[in-house]
Amino acid sequence: MDQNVLGNLWYVVGFAFAGTLFVFGTIALAWLLSHRTRGDEHKGYPYESGIDTFGDSHARFGIPFYIYALMFVAFDIEVVFIFLWALIFQDLLLGGFVSMLIFVAILMLGLAYAWRKGVLSWR
Amino acid sequence: MTAATRSLRQVATVGRIVIPLLVIFLIVAPVATVLVAQAIGPWLISVLNSNIGILRFVVAITAILLFSIPAAFIIIYMELKVIAYMNLRVGPNRVLPAGAAHSVVAGLKVLTKEDFTPNSADRLVFTWAPVLVFLTAVMTFMVVPFGPGLVGAPLNIGLLYLFAVGGMTVVGLLLAGWSSFNKYSLLGGLRSAAQVVSYEIPLTLSVVGLILLAGSMSIDSIARQQSGWVWDWFVFRQPLGALIFFIAGVAEANRTPFDLTEADSEIVAGFATEYSGMRFGFLFFAEYVNVFIMSALIVTLFFGAWNAPVDVNWLLHLVGVGPLSIAFDPGQLGGNLVALAAVVPLVVTLVLAAPFYLLRPEKPVWQSLLIGFLLLNLLLVGVLGLSAYVDWDWVAGLIWFMVKAFAFVFVFVWMRGTFPRVRIDQLMGFAWKWLLPASLLNLFATALAIILLKSAGIN
Repeated sequence: MDQNVLGNLWYVVGFAFAGTLFVFGTIALAWLLSHRTRGDEHKGYPYESGIDTFGDSHARFGIPFYIYALMFVAFDIEVVFIFLWALIFQDLLLGGFVSMLIFVAILMLGLAYAWRKGVLSWR
Repeated sequence: MTAATRSLRQVATVGRIVIPLLVIFLIVAPVATVLVAQAIGPWLISVLNSNIGILRFVVAITAILLFSIPAAFIIIYMELKVIAYMNLRVGPNRVLPAGAAHSVVAGLKVLTKEDFTPNSADRLVFTWAPVLVFLTAVMTFMVVPFGPGLVGAPLNIGLLYLFAVGGMTVVGLLLAGWSSFNKYSLLGGLRSAAQVVSYEIPLTLSVVGLILLAGSMSIDSIARQQSGWVWDWFVFRQPLGALIFFIAGVAEANRTPFDLTEADSEIVAGFATEYSGMRFGFLFFAEYVNVFIMSALIVTLFFGAWNAPVDVNWLLHLVGVGPLSIAFDPGQLGGNLVALAAVVPLVVTLVLAAPFYLLRPEKPVWQSLLIGFLLLNLLLVGVLGLSAYVDWDWVAGLIWFMVKAFAFVFVFVWMRGTFPRVRIDQLMGFAWKWLLPASLLNLFATALAIILLKSAGIN
């Protein structure tokens, strides 16, 4: 079994490597096939609907993006715990059910607080 | 003969040299293959036998990469043609009958376009972002079983791996948006990050009910537990979970009605605005592969995976036959194999070409012969794949899986043809205010049902 798990881990590495090789191979092929023109200085400008760009293109953006990402982190870690709990639930039954109810209730309290504070409504 | 010379005169000078060479090659190649196989066959088999693990890996990665290309082409063609008919248009109809090769030609066009990097873009990140996006798609494919035993690597933590790797798409999209140094790209990247991240939670929570029922995170084992009749599929025990998984899956794949990341009427093309050439190609290649993966996952987890909707063993038992399996060993034929290799292609090509010639006698003969030869090759590939050891199990499984997966791809395309795009506040509100509580409700309802059934003594 251990041997098998190790083999499967090598599969992950191998797939990542082979996939990267495939993408760069195709890009190299495209580089050989494609035509290239120099163009004038406007060619390298950011495409903003034909108008010359103004200001910094790494512009300021809304704070909601950040808050949602923060909430994602909290809930995604919760999901990892729930996955493991679900795997052995057949042995835990009622005790497991109650403890997970308490665990989720605490997190739901956080969600309710965020909801009340108006985080969930996009501004 | 006159028809052949006349059509040969129509082609350009290069063709006049290439086509005869091609014909000679087509005759010589099968014979040479047989002779070479006779010569180095035993040695090759012994080498492959001693490195069976490496061989399996190479076959798996090659099959997955080679499958992803036609899958993307088929989905793009479906999208063009199906939406066209939904809009009462004809759609592509120039390349091959009914424009069947339209998407392939479009792909070749992308391959020959200039791959351009804007002056102010972060070159390293700009190049790696599409690689990351495509890589996550390929690595998710690794754990999707296409049939019994037809899986890249049967991980026992398949579901966890799936969401862990699938979540990396966000990184790729965000990097693509940021490195382009373009306001539209930045907004598109951020939007996709916020969207994918929000829908990741309901997506992962909706399968917890499945893990509770199956008691395993291995996708292979989940698929096996759905064998039997159509009501053994998990969709009938987890209807809410299946619905949430489907909605969140559509959002994860950035498809209409949740395609705000590339809302062309708002932010040009989102994170892909500054991309061109093959790097743009890979961003969209990955999108279509993701559509297929999402359909495949919905089918695998909730709609019976590769299992037929009827209990095959029960049917066979009814007829009075045991489990079907046919074994055929080409080695028994010995020297006759060479004779067969010379005669069979010729006869089968003529037989396959005959109906096309009879249907269209006015067309030149070589066209029907070519079609016959192409069909022969398809047939040979199929027969060779099956001949060593035929276990009808996985062939039937693969066919069922593909039929069901492309049915769901059709639903994805259908939705794109009919639904309007949602607003971003509706999008985020729906994920956090409706899907998240609903998925938690599904989880606890399933857990409660299991406890009640266990205490009642029914398993």
